[in-house]
Amino acid sequence: MSDRILGAACLVAGAGMAWAAQDYAAPISYEPVGPRAFPLLLAGLMALAGSWLVARPGPQGFGLAREHFKTIGLAAAAVFAYAALFETFGFPLATTVMALPVGMAFGGSWKQSLAGGVVMGFAFYLMFDKLLDVVLPTGLLSFVLGGR
Amino acid sequence: MDTLQFLLGGFAVALTPQNLMVAATGAFIGTIVGMLPGLGPINGVAILMPLAFALKLPPETALILLAAVYMGCEYGGRISSILLNVPGDAGAIMTALDGHPMAKNGLAGVALSISAWSSFIGALIATVGIVLFAPLLARWALAFGPAEYFALMCFAFACITGLMGDAPVKAALAAVIGLSLSTVGLDSNSGVYRFTGGDVHLSDGIQFIVVVIGVFSVSEILLMLEQHRSSAGLIHISGRKLFNLKEMAFTWWCTLRSSVVGFVVGVLPGAGATIASAMTYSMEKRLAGPDGHFGDGDIRGVAAPEAANNASAAGSFVPMLTLGVPGSGTTAVMVGALSLYNITPGPALFTQNPTLVWGLIASLFIANVMLLVINIPMVGVFTKVLRLPNWALAPGILAVSAVGVFSVHATTFDLMLMSGLGMVGYLLRKQGMPMAPLILGFVLGDLMEQNLRRALSITNGELGILVESPISIGLWIGAVAMVVVPPLMRLRAHRMQAADAA
Repeated sequence: MSDRILGAACLVAGAGMAWAAQDYAAPISYEPVGPRAFPLLLAGLMALAGSWLVARPGPQGFGLAREHFKTIGLAAAAVFAYAALFETFGFPLATTVMALPVGMAFGGSWKQSLAGGVVMGFAFYLMFDKLLDVVLPTGLLSFVLGGR
Repeated sequence: MDTLQFLLGGFAVALTPQNLMVAATGAFIGTIVGMLPGLGPINGVAILMPLAFALKLPPETALILLAAVYMGCEYGGRISSILLNVPGDAGAIMTALDGHPMAKNGLAGVALSISAWSSFIGALIATVGIVLFAPLLARWALAFGPAEYFALMCFAFACITGLMGDAPVKAALAAVIGLSLSTVGLDSNSGVYRFTGGDVHLSDGIQFIVVVIGVFSVSEILLMLEQHRSSAGLIHISGRKLFNLKEMAFTWWCTLRSSVVGFVVGVLPGAGATIASAMTYSMEKRLAGPDGHFGDGDIRGVAAPEAANNASAAGSFVPMLTLGVPGSGTTAVMVGALSLYNITPGPALFTQNPTLVWGLIASLFIANVMLLVINIPMVGVFTKVLRLPNWALAPGILAVSAVGVFSVHATTFDLMLMSGLGMVGYLLRKQGMPMAPLILGFVLGDLMEQNLRRALSITNGELGILVESPISIGLWIGAVAMVVVPPLMRLRAHRMQAADAA
């Protein structure tokens, strides 16, 4: 991704913000500046910065590292899956499921990553939920651990 | 002496068993977080902030925990700089230049202990600076009206973008993105829902924790995948563990000078530990002249940046406590933490909530002593953590981050938003966009808009009020100078280099 793409994305975002904000108006107005002005100002600034980047992109594009593309995609998918399964699977199980691909992306063997996930899932559950009183979902394991 | 009385009151708060324990825990965790390459004070504070809230700690205790973590990180960064030649956090980049050569020459123990000592002096001087200057600044800031506040916040953004160096446009863009994110949700003045897309989860606005964790923790994990960190080059500590009196006397003045400079840089909004340590390193190098052997293990090259980065960390509490405008990304996160407790930092805090302010200041003293104590004899324990493999560390960070986000509202929506913001944060960071202005923008967004609207309400929409008082005029001039001067200076330095070469 180059600065130009980032700049173009900002232009689009600025335009979208301005379009969404144009009809923000207070039903009864008792102040000179309503809810629309500040978002519009920001939309303008964002478009301005975006056009600067389009016109004068930086010397070197950082670029996504192609050799890491697969591992990063794997880890990113694991993060989303973790978020989605957090409540339904419950914390200990979801953590195990997340730790396996993430651990492997970081160079652990599947045995190490799985074991790490199981240990972390249950140790953190006990520490946070039981010891520190931060309530965590138990999901599929609710029949053993209680809770929901 | 009002100040002394308040300070004693603060020590009464800080010395309760709970707060002492929290400060010790924070100092310990902070040292570890600071030491691990990739994880810096912002990550540490961001991950612990929701937990402090979920643990139902009272606000002053939560703030003490976060402050101890912050101070601890500034101590911890030096360990990996010296032993691995990989800075543990941005403030410790300079420490590696001379610390690692010292360690290679068999002086690892000396480098570690003298840097802990200068860190201690730096933080101590800066904390005394807070005690002396913060109440004065707070009293002065009470006179600020909405127009002055608006100008002050623009000044803070100018500082953070102007001093960010290579990419001021990207830093400004980051600030605008942060400000834009803060407008999501109900506008309390008019009852209009903005940018929610009709989703009830967003009607309350985006949770601060979700943004911070997404942008700093989740994106950090993805960035970590591209760097191959290994503990293979870890230097074993051998020989003398402690510096001797001669070395202490030799570095004494350089430590003092750097501490004062670090404090001043820290007080400036936006300029943080990284700039402070780089400035003092080159200052000491110039002062030493031909006597110095900077770069091959000069002990002053370790003492100066460490004193400066700790002093600037403590100094950045000054604008946060007195003006409500944070001086660094990390203190911006702390402002967000206080907003969870419905506390808005600002000049009124000193009179309305002295327990919180002075309790925090007193615990900075206490945490600093604790850090010195754990950092000199227990360095060996910390180096063991450096051998922790990434395949265990990364899932651990993710799990704790998710627990933090979940503990606030207990919704899957927040977790998904965290993941999404993490991906966006990753892409932006890959493009070289700094994240500290984004967080500052998100924290200040609401305050900035409110002050602008209030100021314009006074004059019924007349923009002239924004540049009416001498204070605002001064702040606007400062803001313009912050944006214009650094590029000009760089240009000049460039020309001079070119002239030298010719």
